[in-house]
Amino acid sequence: MSNAVEFHRVSRRFGAVTAVDDVSFSIAAGETVALLGPSGCGKTSILRVIAGFERPDHGTVSIGGRDVTALKPYERNVGLLFQHYALFPHMTVAENIAYGLRHRGADRREIPDRVEAMLALVRLQGFGSRRPHQLSGGQQQRVALARALATRPGLILLDEPLSALDAKLRQDLRAELKQVLAAVNSTAMVVTHDQEEAMSLGERVFLMQAGRIVQVGAPSDVYGRPGSRFAADFMGRTNWIEAQVTRRETGLARALSRSGLSLTVPDCPSDAIDICVRPENIILSAADDADQHGMANSAKGRILNVALLGSTRQILVEMAGGEQILVMQANRVGDGLGPGQAVTIGFPVDACITMPAGNPTGLAA
Amino acid sequence: MTAIPVQPPPIAIPAPPRTTLFLLAPGLLLLFAIFALPLFGLVLESLKQYVPGRVGSAVDAPLTLENYRELATPSFAGVLYETFKLSAAASLAGLLAAFPLAYCIVRRFSPRQRAVCIGLLVMLVLLSMLVRTYALELAFGSVGVARPLFLALGISPTSRWYTETLVAAGLLHAVVPMCTLTLLGTIQNIDPRFCDAAQSLGAPAWKAHLGITVPLALPGLVSAFLIAMTFSISAFVIPMVLGKGRVLFLSNTIYTRFSDVANYPSGAAVSIVMLVISLLVLSLVSLVQRRRGSRS
Ligand SMILES: Nc1ncnc2c1ncn2[C@@H]1O[C@H](COP(=O)(O)OP(=O)(O)O)[C@@H](O)[C@H]1O
Ligand SMILES: [Mg+2]
Repeated sequence: MSNAVEFHRVSRRFGAVTAVDDVSFSIAAGETVALLGPSGCGKTSILRVIAGFERPDHGTVSIGGRDVTALKPYERNVGLLFQHYALFPHMTVAENIAYGLRHRGADRREIPDRVEAMLALVRLQGFGSRRPHQLSGGQQQRVALARALATRPGLILLDEPLSALDAKLRQDLRAELKQVLAAVNSTAMVVTHDQEEAMSLGERVFLMQAGRIVQVGAPSDVYGRPGSRFAADFMGRTNWIEAQVTRRETGLARALSRSGLSLTVPDCPSDAIDICVRPENIILSAADDADQHGMANSAKGRILNVALLGSTRQILVEMAGGEQILVMQANRVGDGLGPGQAVTIGFPVDACITMPAGNPTGLAA
Repeated sequence: MTAIPVQPPPIAIPAPPRTTLFLLAPGLLLLFAIFALPLFGLVLESLKQYVPGRVGSAVDAPLTLENYRELATPSFAGVLYETFKLSAAASLAGLLAAFPLAYCIVRRFSPRQRAVCIGLLVMLVLLSMLVRTYALELAFGSVGVARPLFLALGISPTSRWYTETLVAAGLLHAVVPMCTLTLLGTIQNIDPRFCDAAQSLGAPAWKAHLGITVPLALPGLVSAFLIAMTFSISAFVIPMVLGKGRVLFLSNTIYTRFSDVANYPSGAAVSIVMLVISLLVLSLVSLVQRRRGSRS
């Protein structure tokens, strides 16, 4: 079966800015992909190239096995949800949803039923006669989704679908969005700058940086095996320990950090290495806790401060050698951790990700 | 303990009425002196009896509606009709030309090109009407450089039809820059992604513009039309130079009555009629617009 979307060496420049820089990828039919990257890295540009609003300067785009590089936007059946929804303000909700049906040649008698079905899909029955400005942000987002899906596009592109909503609503709508996308069973690309959103919505994550896709993989892969410092930092909080390899064993390396921590980590071809340890993989216990003796890496330190985040808390520990390590823990009651307390931290070998030092992007390795 | 007086917040205190009045007074006085007073004089003059041969009315002339009644003639109706027909034609055509022009300037041009275009348009508006109109006359008038071309095409440059068209073209060339400048802001305020959205939903660009851009630009289109229309109805130089007395607008009639025959009361009456008509057009169109606005 042919891929739903295929980019072959696509570039798009705006003056001096290369918004899309020699990008190739393919998306399987029915797959949901999250395009993740910081603001301004070219996510929207890729979306607009797929939808046909931007012609690539180089490369080809195919949709469903057909080369569409030269086709106009209305000649591709691609559903598009815009960043701030772009609902037509002079039309009712029903008219907005019917717009695509009218222009894609749906049978006129079937349009009202289809509009009702779409309203039901996004749980907005009875809102058909409202105007967009009479709806809340979340409702507008759902209308935009219904409008984009009404023509049953084989491919739907969503540009920051949740970014205009407040945090609480965003979580609810994220689950709902996932359900709706699963229900219509079409190929989808969700653009976002929020790694949580990317990991929860995408079956695969395309991580972008400065016009390029720097890593592709399942969310757990991109999070757990970042290919670069950029990827590790962008996907979540990390501790970085700069170290020098002192001895190698099968698959493992002994390394000595700048401040004198002795660590056992997965092997790495380079001698100067950066070690990434996610804060939630570090176990923290009272100074002389026997639990830590099983850990490949453990060290003593003192708590600098504790930040409560609700269900979790972040604990900053200063090690004996001066290094500061961030630990993330469930916020359990009554263990009385506080600043000044002496503690031991520990983490296993497979909690460490090693990469050659001084390679912030991982691109030219 | 002494009570600490609560200070009112130092912001948003409305100026006392006296200060407001003081600030408004110069403007109001000026408006009264150079606008309201003369206009009142005009209304009064239009109601006075005129004795042929005099310059204007006598100071103690009796009041009468005769000056208005006298306007209910086929020849005056002809002038009214001519004024309206050509003004409406020029305004509509101007709007049709200005909309794509404004769209292009806002959406397609680089900031630099945009600045140059807007500068040119402003210059066109400010350039002497008389000069521009005579330039048109020299190019397309009955003895203009284009005369051989028209004769070859079998068009007589002295026919009434041609003269009317020429006057309308004169109005058009004045109206297009005005409409374009008015529409720039309107188009600037329409989110271009509406059109993108329409296209992603299967509408070709022209249908997207017709169904989305134009309705959203309607308030601006109405304003531009009103500006063009009120300008055209009161045009004087253009019909005088290009119409050569064969196409008469209301303004030309007013000028003739004041200057050539010194019938001030009648000239005043025509002026008032023109004023009332302009106000009617304005209020009618904005009424229609408000209806649409409240419906949506
Ligand atoms: N139409 C355009 N004209 C000029 N520059 C553009 C245009 N569209 C995007 N860019 C530039 O391309 C880069 C990528 O933009 P965009 O794709 O919108 O990023 P993102 O969606 O990831 O925030 C930015 O530097 C932006 O300024
Ligand atoms: Mg964007």
